[in-house]
Amino acid sequence: MKVTLAMKPAGKWFIPIEAESIVPKNFLAGTDLSVWRGNRELRLDDVFSVSVEGDADRAEDVEVVLSGETFRLKRVGEYMDGGRITIFGGIGMHCGNFMSGGTIEVHGNADGWLGREMAGGAIICRGDAADYCASGYRGGRKGMTGGTVEVFGRVGDFLAENLAGGTVTVHGDAGDMPGAEMRGGTLVVHGDCSRPGANMKGGSCYVYGTAQAMLPTFRKIGTVRHEGRTLIRFAGDIANRGKGNLFVKGYEYLD
Amino acid sequence: MIVKDAVCPFCGCLCDDIEVEVEDDRVVAVANACELGMTKFMGERRMKNPILRDGDRWKDITYDEAIRYAADALLSAERPLLYGWSGTHGEAQCVGVHMAELIHGVIDNTSSVCHGPSILAIQEVGHPGCTLGVVKNRADLVIYWGSNPIDAHPRHLSRYTRYAEGFFLENAFRDRKVIVVDIRKTETANIADEFVQIKPGGDYAVLSALRAIVQGKTDTIPRTVAGVTREQLIRVANLCKAAKFGAVYFGLGLTMTQGKYKNIRNAIELVSELSRHTKFTISAMRGHYNVYGSNEVNTWMTGYPFGIDYSRGIAFYNPGETTAVDILARKACDAALVVGSDPAAHFPRKCLEHLADIPVVQLDPYPNATTAFCNVQIPVAVTGVDAEGTAYRMDGVPIRTRKVLSTDYPSDREVLARMYALMQEALER
Amino acid sequence: MTELLVKNACVIDPLRGINAEMMDIAIRDGKIVEEVSDAAEVIDARGMLTMPGGVDSHTHICGTKVNFGRYMSPEDMRAGRTPRRGPLHATSGYSVPTTYGNSYRYSVMGYTTLLEGAMAPLEARHTHEEFIYTPLQDTMANTLFDGNWAIMEAIRDGDIKRVAAIIAWTLRAVKGFAVKLTNPGGTEAWQWGKNVSCIRDPVPYFEVTPAEIIRSIVEANELLGLPHSVHLHANNLGTPGNYTCTLGSLGLIPDLNEKRQTLYATHVQFHAYGGSGWKDFCSKSEPIARFVSMRPQIVMDMGQVMFGRTTTMTADGPMEFNLYRLHHEKWSNHDVELETGSGIIPVIYRRKNLVNSIMWAIGLELALLTKSPWQCLLTTDNPNGAPFVKYPEIVALLMSKKYRDAEFATIHPDTEARVPLPAIEREMDWYEIAVMTRAGQAKALGLQDLGKGHLAPGADADVAIYPLHIDEVDPSAEYQKVIDAFSRTEYTIKRGRVVARRGECLVDGSNATFWVRPKVSENYDMGKDPDFIEKFDRYYTVRMRNYPVQEEYLNRNRCIETEARI
Repeated sequence: MKVTLAMKPAGKWFIPIEAESIVPKNFLAGTDLSVWRGNRELRLDDVFSVSVEGDADRAEDVEVVLSGETFRLKRVGEYMDGGRITIFGGIGMHCGNFMSGGTIEVHGNADGWLGREMAGGAIICRGDAADYCASGYRGGRKGMTGGTVEVFGRVGDFLAENLAGGTVTVHGDAGDMPGAEMRGGTLVVHGDCSRPGANMKGGSCYVYGTAQAMLPTFRKIGTVRHEGRTLIRFAGDIANRGKGNLFVKGYEYLD
Repeated sequence: MIVKDAVCPFCGCLCDDIEVEVEDDRVVAVANACELGMTKFMGERRMKNPILRDGDRWKDITYDEAIRYAADALLSAERPLLYGWSGTHGEAQCVGVHMAELIHGVIDNTSSVCHGPSILAIQEVGHPGCTLGVVKNRADLVIYWGSNPIDAHPRHLSRYTRYAEGFFLENAFRDRKVIVVDIRKTETANIADEFVQIKPGGDYAVLSALRAIVQGKTDTIPRTVAGVTREQLIRVANLCKAAKFGAVYFGLGLTMTQGKYKNIRNAIELVSELSRHTKFTISAMRGHYNVYGSNEVNTWMTGYPFGIDYSRGIAFYNPGETTAVDILARKACDAALVVGSDPAAHFPRKCLEHLADIPVVQLDPYPNATTAFCNVQIPVAVTGVDAEGTAYRMDGVPIRTRKVLSTDYPSDREVLARMYALMQEALER
Repeated sequence: MTELLVKNACVIDPLRGINAEMMDIAIRDGKIVEEVSDAAEVIDARGMLTMPGGVDSHTHICGTKVNFGRYMSPEDMRAGRTPRRGPLHATSGYSVPTTYGNSYRYSVMGYTTLLEGAMAPLEARHTHEEFIYTPLQDTMANTLFDGNWAIMEAIRDGDIKRVAAIIAWTLRAVKGFAVKLTNPGGTEAWQWGKNVSCIRDPVPYFEVTPAEIIRSIVEANELLGLPHSVHLHANNLGTPGNYTCTLGSLGLIPDLNEKRQTLYATHVQFHAYGGSGWKDFCSKSEPIARFVSMRPQIVMDMGQVMFGRTTTMTADGPMEFNLYRLHHEKWSNHDVELETGSGIIPVIYRRKNLVNSIMWAIGLELALLTKSPWQCLLTTDNPNGAPFVKYPEIVALLMSKKYRDAEFATIHPDTEARVPLPAIEREMDWYEIAVMTRAGQAKALGLQDLGKGHLAPGADADVAIYPLHIDEVDPSAEYQKVIDAFSRTEYTIKRGRVVARRGECLVDGSNATFWVRPKVSENYDMGKDPDFIEKFDRYYTVRMRNYPVQEEYLNRNRCIETEARI
């Protein structure tokens, strides 16, 4: 089944639309779903031109395709457990929140908290992602616990904060403090970043570019070969009695 | 007539030993207060009536008309924003929460541009703190990190730290050590026993290094960290461990530096680490006299200290998304009520551009920067001068501000209660 | 004039010795009366179990440390959120709900009176503010005196009357209800990062021992004629082997009061540990229960632990720090100048953890092994042992050996060797449960003369009607029905108004706060004592004039004046 949701031209404001009902599973029962713009409930067809091809009896066989000013849509794919969502454009905050299965592909840029608290499934972002990509929620000890997130562009700050499991890959640069507080899982940044692995307890963080403002509480272990690259291996974060592994191509202290 | 033990409604010190001399319903003299407090008590040139923007001019309107305008504008909005709150009394803050809940809007306070990061850090690692009197009576080591009290909290040093008398300290001034950590030599650094100068952005690295040194792991630390020598770091760590009672106070120098809440988190974790060796506490130098109050009120009523979005009926909290600066910058609200603060004086330009486009109502005794962006401004009494109510000091101690004189101005609480009643009526119809 | 008649109620009212009698309850203007007119609104209870409204004698719901627990835990807040509905406000929170959350959830369970377990005098205003926003229950506050400088100095000088005078002045000033001691002496030691190791260990600088603090304050409390006894959270909470300290503390207490106990020992489960470390940790509920059973001057409450997440919060700063050392969870601490302290840290009690399993057993043992239910009341030290919404499960565990055995089979297998629980056959009955959840609390708090905890004419019309016919349910076998019934009343009536019905709260209420005002002679009025005043203004950072909680914070209130013997 393929559900196409093309956004109708929007009004003046950028009041975000919360669309947590846009999850493949929900379309098995039809398209009579609600979204919210601020405190106003709207029907799906108030916001989108809706068309459905084919049918399905499991979420795995449902693909939802979104187009238009999709950057205004928040919480798309929340609690998704199967199926596919393709977004031809950018996407708003909290895309793929709590996801446990299925695939989300964003062709444009993703706003904050992409894949927040993800437990499984796959998210691909062809553009850039904003702050808190693949991270957790305030006050929680664990963020992402499983699944994969891959961003082809760059990401903002606090990438994979509280990472506990799964794999996060960024092809471009990351911002400040990627992998902060991480305790498990694998984080790979192809580009440069600032202060990776801050306060880490466990897990592995790879930086194929330069780690700027490298923190002074990582102990250099030696060099390793990893996937065709020579990286310097550090253990830490000592300040946190951490036993994580931080691998960087290059690093610079802020001294 | 002299009013003794008046409570100063300016900064988080919430000094309650002020003497205010009142004559003919005006404050004519103030004793014991600092410059900032004195100015607050003696403020002149209040707005006389509510005003409505009429094209290029202002029109005087009645309180009823102004309140009705506000109620209508906020009720018809899809995402109304109720912002400010730190410059008013708790009873008004409570009405604000009820209002946000009723109209399914967002309520946020000035924490989000000030010590919001401190709260986020506390939500990650907790807050090992104490009331100010504990520090006054016991602390033999006080550390000001990214904070310049001589400038922003002038009586902090004399009431609570450097110059304050302490029960357990024979000669408080001599027996207390003060360390100042900052990126430049501030006035407070001049009176410190030890000054640590950090390269901008280097606080986090220095805090991590200190944590490792306190654990006895000095060998990993490079020779300098963000401009601070390893020697000095070791000296500071030893001073901390040797103290009988250490107190850290931090300000915007730490909350607003890159990393923001991570800096505070690291400082808290350092204090928790030091607590294994001796007694150590840490607290935020809250700016406004009742910003902590708005955190407390918001928390017991909604569960969250600031940035609460009721659009979907339940309370949703996500700083960076439900906080005023982010909402305004993204044009994600369509009406605003401002109470007890002056966002136009502090917010980025992008936010002000949107503020200019939406209906804005402000409750404030004085014309201020935000007035230029208002459709309506309603003058109210000044808490601590001609209105009374609860305020929470920077350490969480609640003190009731007092009225030192009476005027005809309604209090924030009264105006908001009337607005709320109109909204309830409208919704019932 | 509003009249309500509850017909056909199967009433259990232990303070009047009524055990499952079918009767009508007449209510007029918020009070129980002998009879009402034909114009009264009628509720037909159709034979359902009816009791006076629940009274919780120790719960942490309002004040500085409770609010700390809330705002440091946004992840706890997001569980259990409800929207605004009609007159009801939105709520948030799981183990530390918002004030409305607490009030509505307690009301749905039939609770109409709550005692806040710990309020620091300096921050009393905060507790009272939160009381205002806990609308469906009458409230009152335990006021902390465990680290009070002026009192420790008076004790050191052997001046019990001065101790009483300071307590009197403070309770009047901060509108407190009762005297609370948490880790007496320890909270002051903690302000130097230290603790006291037991009741003979002197407090640094002040040189008084916890034993002296407890004994002196107990005496002073009786001199003031207060409705409640001293309420004690003993030293050494949570430490393996602490039961000896507990017995030592309880052994200090003479029998000074005819109407009620002389000491209320709270959450005793946390104080009933044997062993010398975590490895040989075991239950010492038996000696404690035996000791208490022989002493009418002691009443205790369980402090039951239930498995799952929760948040601990007490005035016992050093204990909370030790939990931080053990578990490395986020930890908050808040010492209060010249008075006391507090600590807050989240915990998870796990079935797979042997120590936690033993703790779970101990609370139940204390209740089952104490002969009289009047001497061991039902609490979890909410939220320290578990959130109060778990009370119905505890009721079911006490009433059903079968349920206990079923739960026992799921906990750590080595528990059996460390605790007596599996061998205990006793099953509490409905009457005993009524004692443990309202009548006993009201008596222990001294509230029965104020119209709480019973349904005699003149009492407050606080009634809980549970959807249960006791002749149709065998609580020993059908424990799930017990849980369901005690989780949601058919009706909760507060001051003669139906406030909750079948799990829904119906109104936004307006509660009353109970506080005490002991009347002392001129000589003992600390407000005029030069030494007290001088030290106050020198060492506190709040002026004495600004310290008392003003009338504005009280709304409806019940002030209990007592004649002090000083």
